[in-house]
Amino acid sequence: MNPNAVIGRPFPQLNAESKVKGNAAFCDDLWFPKMLYCRILRSPHAHARILEIDTSEAESLPGVKAVITAGDTPRIPFVHVGGPFQDKLPLQDSKVRYVGDEVAAVAALREDIAETALRLIRVKYEVLPAVFDPEEALGEDAPQVHDGKNNALIHIKRDFGNAERALEESDLVLEDVFETQAVSHCNLEPRCSVAMMDEQGVLKIWTSTQSPHYVRKEVSHVLGLPLTNVRVMEIHVGGGFGSRSKVCEDEAITAMLALKTGRPVKIAYSREEEFTATRIRMPFKIWIKQGVTNDGTLTARKMKVIADKGAYAHYGPAVLGYAAGVSCALYRVPNVKYDGYLVYTNKHFAGPFRGFGAPQVTFAIESQIDRLAENLGMDGMALRLKNANQPNETTTNGWRITSCGFSDCIRKAAETSGWAEKKKARAKGNSDQDTLRGIGMACGIHLCGAKIFADGDYSGAIVKVFEDGQVTLYKGNTDMGTWSNTTAAQIVAEEIGIDLDRVRVISMDTETTPTDSGSFASRVLFIHGNAAKKAAAKAKASLLKSAAAVLGETEKDLFIESGAIAVTGNPEKRITIGEAVKQSAEKVCDFISCEYHYDPPSEPLNFQTGYSNISAAYTFTTQVAEVEVDRSTGLVSVQQFVVAQDVGKAINPLAVEGQIEGAVAQGIGYALSEGYHYQDGFVLNANFTDYSMPGIQTLPKDGKLKVILVETDDPEGPFGAKGAGELTLNPTAAAVANAVYDATGIRCNTLPITPEQLAARLEEKAHK
Amino acid sequence: MTKQLIEMKVNGDALEVLVAPEDLLLNVLRNQLGLTGAKYGCGLGRCGSCIVLMDGEPVNSCLILAVAAEGKEITTIEGLWREQGPHPIQEAFIAHGAMQCGFCTPGMVLSSKALLNRNPHPDETEVREALESNLCRCTGYAKIVEAVMSLSHAGKGE
Repeated sequence: MNPNAVIGRPFPQLNAESKVKGNAAFCDDLWFPKMLYCRILRSPHAHARILEIDTSEAESLPGVKAVITAGDTPRIPFVHVGGPFQDKLPLQDSKVRYVGDEVAAVAALREDIAETALRLIRVKYEVLPAVFDPEEALGEDAPQVHDGKNNALIHIKRDFGNAERALEESDLVLEDVFETQAVSHCNLEPRCSVAMMDEQGVLKIWTSTQSPHYVRKEVSHVLGLPLTNVRVMEIHVGGGFGSRSKVCEDEAITAMLALKTGRPVKIAYSREEEFTATRIRMPFKIWIKQGVTNDGTLTARKMKVIADKGAYAHYGPAVLGYAAGVSCALYRVPNVKYDGYLVYTNKHFAGPFRGFGAPQVTFAIESQIDRLAENLGMDGMALRLKNANQPNETTTNGWRITSCGFSDCIRKAAETSGWAEKKKARAKGNSDQDTLRGIGMACGIHLCGAKIFADGDYSGAIVKVFEDGQVTLYKGNTDMGTWSNTTAAQIVAEEIGIDLDRVRVISMDTETTPTDSGSFASRVLFIHGNAAKKAAAKAKASLLKSAAAVLGETEKDLFIESGAIAVTGNPEKRITIGEAVKQSAEKVCDFISCEYHYDPPSEPLNFQTGYSNISAAYTFTTQVAEVEVDRSTGLVSVQQFVVAQDVGKAINPLAVEGQIEGAVAQGIGYALSEGYHYQDGFVLNANFTDYSMPGIQTLPKDGKLKVILVETDDPEGPFGAKGAGELTLNPTAAAVANAVYDATGIRCNTLPITPEQLAARLEEKAHK
Repeated sequence: MTKQLIEMKVNGDALEVLVAPEDLLLNVLRNQLGLTGAKYGCGLGRCGSCIVLMDGEPVNSCLILAVAAEGKEITTIEGLWREQGPHPIQEAFIAHGAMQCGFCTPGMVLSSKALLNRNPHPDETEVREALESNLCRCTGYAKIVEAVMSLSHAGKGE
């Protein structure tokens, strides 16, 4: 490795020091003079008509400065995915559609006064029959969640090849039904926003968002303001995982209150609100049939999905659309038929969540792949290797795969986990023990950014080089913990040829950063990384041009090293980067500024057919879980977990390992413990005691969470890198479920695999 | 209920603070003293984002009344960084990449400090036990364990 290389080295996060010092300011750490505190009145009913709202008593409570309802707002719905799916107002005007729906909001001198005021708002409701089960919601007599609209809000059809015929001609066909549950993102930082009008009439918003430019667009839209009258500011964001990849209601509501009162307004959600009134992962019920020939070649896949959207469309059509894409693209499968139905119910509503629908369908596909292997008498690894996607192939639905380390991932995960020996040992059975042990494998595919939204998939970057030799990157998306500010800075440093400590990053601020779609879809390292790299390349060219003129050399004879530009073969002849800026004919005031707008060579999703190359690169992972199952309690513990993942190139191994390890933890929670419990639309477990997200004891110990980075040097990725944040989660639940089967002989097709579920099945099995 | 003046030592400074009987230590630290390193994460003592040290022991400041801190010595994350630079625990968290969003980090660091104070050479089981009450959604905990274990091996926890 080049000793001066910045790429590939485990640098700490740029802002690590401020985080360990407790200095990193999150939204709720902000305070401004005259700031008011907001609380939101939420619907206590799953479905009700709003007949009348009387806010007079609340308004007269001392300390209350404003109370707003839909009548005080322009009543413009959020854009979300656009088209016919714009169904959500910031505050509801005629109906509430889930327990937690926003009805009114208060701004007061103190949070407790605002809370008291909520209890003084009188809302007269006409309670309506509600529907909670998506299959029931499809029935003719089901209550309409949105008046005049069918509860089935979209039907996504994919039909490639001839799945029916291929299934008939297959040597083996299996059919199963799977169900996945609603889970919470569980960001450790509850949602928070502060909105404040500045002296020039610009609404400044600090908010826990992954996508500041989207927030600007949506808030200006629902307030009926010009786009640039809203400015989203830079702030630390405590996690996201998709729940913050689009606008949330609090940003619009605090903005409305700031407009009305002329004062800064903050809202900080309680943990209960974070659980009940922010987005969740969409539950799927999946009917799946796959066919194979006797030699293990996949011939066809047929799937039906009913997805429980909850009360509002939000990004559901895109999530279900992407789930369809993964359903067509995972493994080489020439014939695919997919029917996905997105259904309104009176529950809190789903949105993007790490994997964007892929973990749901991957659970079904990979559980059944395991069964296909078993029924063929074939090793699961061999079946996966036989059907693994390969470099430079196009999938059934038009994904043009370039770099692809899928087969390598399978081999390396198997080797590191001791797959072959353990499978052999397992063949002897473990029926006499109290603790049952098993091993399971699953694989996943994902993308690096996606053209599945109307806005496309773009990113701008500005790189400024100053006379003191410092470089600043302007980056329009959020580093909500993904280290994307650090990895983007590494890309800039490497491209120019300077040390990492010469690069600073300004992110999020919609006034100073170029427009960017946001931090989701594993896109930032790839899409913004390319923008940053290309902007840095322009800056470097400008520096070399200036240095060449000063040194009397040609640019091709110069190189940049340790903050200076020197002559090849005569490195004593050099000038500093700062001097090159000073002498540059291209400088503006005291800096050189270079911009780049990167639009990846991918294609917008053809929403009708589903055939398009929606991403410029694709990623692959193989995971092997080893579990122990307590025969009496049904408790599953993951003893070892191995991930081999195609990351293109690890720009920063610490960063990408951290992404993978964190996703494994979320995947294990998804597999074994997490899930909402409801009664009549009420969430019964809106806290960390009753909602069980993995703690430090849940994960494999003694270094047995093993990450293998497979580098494939992607031709389009910046320095060969690909995105990594989401993919890992896609097959984790399937790997765990397959290991549970290996241990117990029981197929768990419903997530989570709780001790109750498994103990009952074990008991049943013992008595057969 | 009337407010009362309590004395406590916060990060080495002796302070008098006027608090209501129902005020939580977390809110007094954050809102009155401007020490925002301790975070509200759940309000039920389940996530550990609000952990501070009270006479060296980790406590959930979201569950403790401020009046209970009368006469006590409180260390928040802001008190850990020494004049000469970072505490070794902070250094280890930085070097091992033991944080992503950083929201849980103050609590994680302080729980680790309390552990290393009473047991300078914990094994991995003891590290995991000590951090049971600290939730992290980002990291999967692997690098946090590595960071604390590096101090156990080096004997630099004090």
